[in-house]
Amino acid sequence: MWEWWQRNRPLLLGAVLLLMALLWYSVNLRQQDETSFLERMVLGLTGPVQAGLDQVISGAADVWGHYLYLIDTEEDNRELIESNRQLSATLAENNEVRLENDRLRRLLDFKETQEIATLPARVIAEDATSWFRTITIDKGSVQGVVEGMPVVVAEGVVGRIVRSSTHFSRVLLITDASSAVASLLQSNRARGISRGKGERLVFDFVLRQEEVRVGDRVVTSGMGGVFPKGLVVGDVQSVDRQEYGLFQAIEVIPAVDFSHLEEVLILLRRPQ
Amino acid sequence: MNRVLIYFALAGVAAVLQTVLLPLLLQGDYKPDLVLLLVVYLGLHEDRWRGGLIVYLMGWFFDGVGGAFPGLNGFVMLAIFLSVRGIVSRVNTDSSILLLLLVMAGTILQSFLVAFALDFFRQDISVISQIAWQLPTQLLLNFVAAVVLLRLTVWLQRTFLPRRDLPGLRKLDRRYES
Repeated sequence: MWEWWQRNRPLLLGAVLLLMALLWYSVNLRQQDETSFLERMVLGLTGPVQAGLDQVISGAADVWGHYLYLIDTEEDNRELIESNRQLSATLAENNEVRLENDRLRRLLDFKETQEIATLPARVIAEDATSWFRTITIDKGSVQGVVEGMPVVVAEGVVGRIVRSSTHFSRVLLITDASSAVASLLQSNRARGISRGKGERLVFDFVLRQEEVRVGDRVVTSGMGGVFPKGLVVGDVQSVDRQEYGLFQAIEVIPAVDFSHLEEVLILLRRPQ
Repeated sequence: MNRVLIYFALAGVAAVLQTVLLPLLLQGDYKPDLVLLLVVYLGLHEDRWRGGLIVYLMGWFFDGVGGAFPGLNGFVMLAIFLSVRGIVSRVNTDSSILLLLLVMAGTILQSFLVAFALDFFRQDISVISQIAWQLPTQLLLNFVAAVVLLRLTVWLQRTFLPRRDLPGLRKLDRRYES
């Protein structure tokens, strides 16, 4: 027996370690809606670095885009190009400001239509893995952000806060596989659940007899207690009504372009 | 102690690169998993207990910047680390090709474990099809990142620390290649 134990000790201890890690993960699933001390600490530590690096990269990209590529031009055109460079930079800067203005104006228009108090935030980082869809924003519990609050842009729903530290929060995007949003079809009010599936969503539990067309708009139903009613989720991309089964298979393209998210609005309402 | 701090510093750099810099350079939601490379390296060159603890803590650190399931990255990274430890006595740990192969195998194991941990423990979530769809791209990205990083590490070591020897990276140096 002792010999057997000595021979298999590494394997058995490894298995015990793994089992403990798995059990700990399983236990933590119950407290998944709260931010742990360790997560708050990691967010607090990485957030400023991410925010700083984000600004540095944006600045460097601007410099690269507007100045550096013009440096190697002909000597005889130097003065002309110098003035052109400055004008281009000013123009590009103005364009950037105009685009930012447009985005913020749209957010502001949207904000004014909301009855709930909102808080603008800047996206500073994405998820560290390819398997999950989360973003980090530069607002936290000091500004009144708590877990479960909905995050939106003018185009539609972005996601909900899942972790928050003092100055930074993480948002679970609606395209993440663990995200589910109670939704309905705007045209015929058919209810269902929009679940994340990578770059798209699936609109589950819509009964077979419901009339669903490609292009139909999907909006939040307000039933889940997280998102207020009527926010745009996306548009139906495909409908597969199989011969048997209770429900239809519906794919939805999100209204929000998640690859170009820069500013978002947090709806300051606690989940019910 | 210094070595442990270096591992955590590398994990921190990897986290920042994966969350801020790489998403700007790569289209879509794909990014190479630099921490996986670190975990495989630790599996080849650290002992079971110390390495296991470092990797598990690293996983918890990563839960703060990736995914929304506390303990998931710790479990997955520990499993990959222990799997590598399980074969380490049977292979030549100085081989660069082995390191690359283990990164590929680690990617497959990681995707399987993430799918298992989510689909098995959370019945309302199904990620298997999404992960299966993403896996080939992720394999390619991790392979390219591993080749580039390992070459870069050897170059940095030869340039700045020519008298030092990084365990497991000797065979990457052309002087040792046949």
